[in-house]
Amino acid sequence: MINAFLVFNGQGQPRLTKFYTQLDTSIQQRLISEIFTLVANRPKGSCNFLPLPPLLAASSTSSTSSEPHNDVPSLVTYRNYATLYFIIISTSTESPLALIDLIQVYVESLDRLFENVCELDLIFNFETLHATLGEMIVGGVVIETNMERIVQGVRAQGTVAKRPVNESRGGGGGGGGLGSGLGAGLGMGGNFVWSGR
Amino acid sequence: MDVKATALLKIIYLEMNGHDMSWASFHVLEVMSSPKYHQKRVGYLGAVQSFKTDTEVLMLATNLLKKDLSASSPIVISLPIAALPHIITPSLALSVLADLLPRLSHSHAAIRKKTIVTLYRLALVYPETLRAAWPKIKERLMDKNEDPSVTAAIVNVVCELGWRRPQDFLPLAPRLFELLVDGGNNWMAIKLIKLFATLTPLEPRLVRKLLPPLTDLIRTTPATSLLYECINGIIQGGILGDSEDDGREEIATLCVSKLRGMITFNGDANLKYVALLAFNRIVVTHPYLVAQQEDVIMECIDSEDITIRIKALDLVQGMVSSDNLVSIVSRLMRQLKTSTNSNNEQPDDLSTDSEEMGAERRSRRKDEGPPLPEDYTIDVIGRILKMCSQNNYSSVVDFDWYIDVLTQLIRIAPASRKEVDADGTTLGAKSTIADISESIGNELRNVAVKVKAVRVAAVRAAELIIAKLTMESTSHQVTSGSLKPVAWIAGEYAHQLSNPSDTLNHLLQLIPRIRPPEILATCLQASMKLFALIAGNDQTYWTAERKSMVSLLMARVIHTYEPLITHPSLEVQERAVEFTELLKLTAEAASAQAPSTDELEQDPPLLLTQAIPSLFQGWELNSVAVGAQLNVPMPEGLDLDEPIHPNLGSLLAQADSLMLPVQEDDEFAAYYNEKAAPTSISSEPAINRIRDAPETVTNSYQQATEDSYLDADIIARRKAERAERNRDDPFYIGDLSSPSRSQGTSTPIHNILQNENGPDLDIDSIPIMKLDLGGIGVASSSSGQSHQQYKAPKARPQIVVAADETLVGSSRPSTPRTGSQHDSDAAADPSSASASAKSRAAKKLKQSLLQVDSSHLRNLSLEASESGDAGGALPHEKLAETDEEMAKAMKEVQRLRLEMQRANERIQVAQGVPSEGVVVKSKKKKKKDGEEKEGGKKKKKVKAVEGEEGKGEEEKKVKKKKKKVEGETAEEGEEGVVAEGGPVGGEAEAEVMAVKKKKKKEGEEGKVKKKKPKRIIQLDDGGEAGGEGGVEAGEP
Repeated sequence: MINAFLVFNGQGQPRLTKFYTQLDTSIQQRLISEIFTLVANRPKGSCNFLPLPPLLAASSTSSTSSEPHNDVPSLVTYRNYATLYFIIISTSTESPLALIDLIQVYVESLDRLFENVCELDLIFNFETLHATLGEMIVGGVVIETNMERIVQGVRAQGTVAKRPVNESRGGGGGGGGLGSGLGAGLGMGGNFVWSGR
Repeated sequence: MDVKATALLKIIYLEMNGHDMSWASFHVLEVMSSPKYHQKRVGYLGAVQSFKTDTEVLMLATNLLKKDLSASSPIVISLPIAALPHIITPSLALSVLADLLPRLSHSHAAIRKKTIVTLYRLALVYPETLRAAWPKIKERLMDKNEDPSVTAAIVNVVCELGWRRPQDFLPLAPRLFELLVDGGNNWMAIKLIKLFATLTPLEPRLVRKLLPPLTDLIRTTPATSLLYECINGIIQGGILGDSEDDGREEIATLCVSKLRGMITFNGDANLKYVALLAFNRIVVTHPYLVAQQEDVIMECIDSEDITIRIKALDLVQGMVSSDNLVSIVSRLMRQLKTSTNSNNEQPDDLSTDSEEMGAERRSRRKDEGPPLPEDYTIDVIGRILKMCSQNNYSSVVDFDWYIDVLTQLIRIAPASRKEVDADGTTLGAKSTIADISESIGNELRNVAVKVKAVRVAAVRAAELIIAKLTMESTSHQVTSGSLKPVAWIAGEYAHQLSNPSDTLNHLLQLIPRIRPPEILATCLQASMKLFALIAGNDQTYWTAERKSMVSLLMARVIHTYEPLITHPSLEVQERAVEFTELLKLTAEAASAQAPSTDELEQDPPLLLTQAIPSLFQGWELNSVAVGAQLNVPMPEGLDLDEPIHPNLGSLLAQADSLMLPVQEDDEFAAYYNEKAAPTSISSEPAINRIRDAPETVTNSYQQATEDSYLDADIIARRKAERAERNRDDPFYIGDLSSPSRSQGTSTPIHNILQNENGPDLDIDSIPIMKLDLGGIGVASSSSGQSHQQYKAPKARPQIVVAADETLVGSSRPSTPRTGSQHDSDAAADPSSASASAKSRAAKKLKQSLLQVDSSHLRNLSLEASESGDAGGALPHEKLAETDEEMAKAMKEVQRLRLEMQRANERIQVAQGVPSEGVVVKSKKKKKKDGEEKEGGKKKKKVKAVEGEEGKGEEEKKVKKKKKKVEGETAEEGEEGVVAEGGPVGGEAEAEVMAVKKKKKKEGEEGKVKKKKPKRIIQLDDGGEAGGEGGVEAGEP
C-alpha cells in the first residue's frame, strides 16, 4: 500500500503532506527534510527511486532482518515537475513503475483542474489538492487511475476556485514562469502504464 | 462559522509546515459538524490531517460520522468514508461498521469503491469487519456488470489482503484470471499479477494456466510497467522454479533477455533500477542466469546514481564466485580509490592539513570519480569484505591479493574521514567508521589465523599498517579501529615479524595517542608480547651490550605504560599495572645480574628469558565458531546467583579504605626514565623490508589492473616479491641481473626521497617507483607471463583455510568450510525456537514508521462466511473450493496432531508417563498417513477418521492435557468434566471446533510462545464446551 504522499518545492517547503498511517508532526517534518536532502542531491538523469531515508531505513532493517516484510515501507518514488517534487512512500507490494505514473496522473489531473497548474495554485488551493488525492487514493489504496473520473469527482465536490483575486499571472513574481514550467514538465509524458491511451 | 472554517484551513496549512495543531481538535470537530458542505469538508480535512487514534474528541465524533455516513448527498457520504481510514480505532470500527456496510451497494460507483477500501482499513484494526463485509465484497467482484473502476478498487484491496492470507483467495482465482485476460486496465492487471504471484506457491496448477497469458502480455504489451510486472510475477510466483520443463526454460530466457534489454535500453534509469530489482530476485534461485548478465550489471555499479549502484551491489554480492571475485572487487576498489582521492581534494578538508599534504593532493588529481557519500563508501567496503569472506573464504583463491586489498582498504577507510573524527562532533558517524575499519582489520586477523600459508604475509601487512598509522597521525589522536586487530596480529605472531623492534617502537609511540580503551588494551598486550620476544632470547649471552639494550627498552616500555596506570578504563588500568610491576621487577633483576665477561659467562635473568615469554606462549589460537561457547557444558554445581564471597560488601568497603601504594618510588625506573633516549625511530620504507622477505608459499596473480586501485607501495611490494621469486627460480637464471640490479639501484634513491619528505608521502615516490617498475616490468612482464604459463598446468598449491572450531556432538551447527560464517551469524539458532519467537515478539513491538499493523488480520478465519455463500459461486470455483477445503482439513488435522504431540511430550516431561502416549501417537500417525496415501481425501472422511479412530485416543489425550493443565495452573472445576471424558458422540464435533479455534490461534502462538500454556487451556476449554453443546461455536 501507499504509506505517504508528499509534495514539496525546490526549497523543501511542503506543499502537500498526506500520511496514510499516523505519525507525529515532528517526525513527519524530519522525514520530509530527510527525503528532501536525498532528492535535492540527485544527479541529472538518475532514476526516480530513492534509497530509503535514514529514518525509514533504520526502522526497516531492524524489523526485516529475517524475512522480507510486506508491511514495511520500502520504496520511495519521486518525480520532479518544474519546482515541485512529488513523493510516494510505499511498501514493496506496489509496482514501482506504476507509481511513477500515478504521480503523473495526479499532476495531469491537477493540470486539468487548474488549467495549466503552477505552484501558486497549490498554495492557494491546497484543499483541492487534498480532494484530488482523495479521489485517487483512499487509505493508502489506489481507487482510481482514470483522469476523467478523478476530475469529475473533484468537480462534483464544488467548483475549483480560480487563482485568488490578487493573482497577476506572468506579472507578479515567478508565477507565470512556474506555470509554464510545470506545464512543460508534463511533456515528460506518461510513458509506462497508460501509454496506450 | 465561515471565519472559523477559514481559520481552520489556515491552521491545517501551518500544520503541514510542522506546527502542531492537536490543541485545535475540538474546533475541528465543530467545523466538521457544520451543515454546510464546504465547511464540513474543511473540518474533515482537519480531522484527517491532525487526529490521532488517541485524540479525545474522537469519541465525540463517532455519532457525527455515523450521521454523515447515512446522509443523502453522495459527496457528504464520501467525506466520512475517506476520513475513516486515518482515524480508525477498533471501537470506532465496531460502531461505524453497521453504517458502512450498506454503502457497499450505494448507487454511486465512487461511494462503493471508497467504501470497499475503507472496509479494508477497518479490517486491519478490527478483523471481524471482514467476516461481515467479505461476502458483499466478493459479490461485487463477481458481478460482471459492476463498474470497472469499482472492480479495480476491489482488486487492489484483494491484492493487499492477498499476501497476508493467500489461501483465502484461491477460490477467487478463476474470476481474477478472467479479469486479467480481458480486463484492459493496466493498473488492475499489475495488481492481479502481483496477487497471482502470491497464489501460485499454494496452487501449482495455476502456473500452467497463467503462463500463456503472461507470455502473451510480455510479448505484446506496450506498457513497460506491465511488462516488468509480468516478469516480476513470474519470478516471484516461482514459475521459473524447475527448469526441466522446456516451456519454462524458454520463458526464463525470455524474461532475462527482456530484463537485459531494460538495462541497456537507451539509458532509462528507472528501467535500469527495476531490472536490477528483478535480477535481485532471480539471483536467489537462479544465480547462473544472472551471472550471464555480468557485463551489464557491472556497468551499473559505476553508474553515478547511488540508488542504482546500491541495487547493483546487492546483486553482485549474490552472484560472486571464485571466478569473478577478483574482477568485481577490483572494480569496486577502483571506484573507492578514485572517490577518496577526489574527496580528499575538497577544499574544506584542507583546514586541518599541512601545506604539503595539499600539494600532494594536487598532484594526485588525475582520474577522479565523483565524490561518494561516506555511508556509501562504508557500505561498499562492508560488501567487499562480505563477498570475500563468504563461505569461509571459499571464493578467495589468492590470499596474497586479498591481503593487499585489505591493506589498501584500511588506507581508504580512515583517510577520507579523519577530519570528521578530529572534531568529534559527529559521534554517530564516528562509531560506524571505527566499525568498518575495525572489521577490515578483523578480516586481516581472520586470514592470519585461519590461513597458515599466508600468515607471514598477513603479519607483514599488519606491520606495515602499524608503521603507516604511526607516521600518518603524528599530531592527532589515533582513532582507526583497525589498529586493534592489527596490533593483535603483530603481538600474537611476533616471531614472524620482519623487524619486531621497529614494530614495538611504533606501538609504543602509538599508545599514548590512542583513545578508545579496547584498542589501548589490545595494544598494551601486543607491545608486551613484542617485548617478550625481543628481550627474552635465551640463546645469546648476557653481554653488557645486551644488558644496556634490554634495560633501555624496558625503561621505555615502563615509561609508556606508567601514565595508563590511572586510566579510567579498568581493563587498560589492570593491564598497565600488571605489566609495569612485572617490568619493574625484571628491571631490577636485570640490573642486578652482572654482564658476562670474557672469563665468566652469565645467563640472562630468568625472569626475562623464562617468565615473561612463558606468559604468552602456549597453544596456538584457532578460530572458534560462533556460538561454540554456548556448547560448553555447564559445570556441575555452578550457581551464578550465589555471591562469590559471603561477605562481599564488607570486603569492598575494606578495599576502599585500604590505599594500595601503587606509585612506589622505583629508583631504577626513575633513573631510566630520565635517560630514556630516543632510540632511532627512523622508519624503513616498505620496500626495504620486503627485500629480505622469505619466499611465500602461494602464487601471485598477475593482475593487470591492480595498479589502478592499489597504492604504489603495495604494488611495488608485489612486484618486488615477484621479482624475488623469479630470481630464485632456476628457470630464470638469465633474468637474474635485471631485477636485482634495479632493486639495488632504486632502493637507495627511494630511501633518500622518503627520508626527506616523510615516509607517508608515498605518492611522491611514484615517478621513482615507475622507473623501478620499468626495470622489472620489461624483464618480468614477459617472463612473468611465461612463468604463469609454465606454472599453469601445475596444481595451484592448496591453501588450507582453517574451519572454525566448535565442540563436537553439539546441537549447534558448526561452521565447516562450506558453512558461511555470516550465515551462521545471521541465522537464528534453530535450537532455541523460543528465543526467535521472543525476538519476533520484540520485532512486533518495534514497528517501523509508517507501517500498518496487519497482524490481527492474519488470525482471522474467513471460513465460516465463505462456506456460507458458496452457493453463489461458479461451478468450477466450487470444485476448487472443495479442494481447498480439503487441503485445509488436512492441514488442520496435521496441526492438531502436532499440537497433541507437543502436549504429549509435555505430559511425559511433567508426569513421567512413558512410552504409552508415544505408541498411541505413532499408531494414529500411521493410520493418517495411510489415509493420505490412499488418496481418498475427502474432508468428511478425514473427519470421520478423526471421529472414530481418534476418539479413544482423543479422550485420553484430553484427559492428559487436563492433568497437565491442572498441574501447571491449578485450574479448578475442570476435573469433573474431564473425568467423564466428555460425551462420546460429541467428541468429533468438539474436535472440529477445537481445530478451528486452534487455527485462529496458530499464528499468534508462533509469535508469542510464552503464552502457549494459557492457550492450550483455552483450546481445551473450547473443545469441552463444544463437546457439551457447541456453545462457543460462533464466538469470535
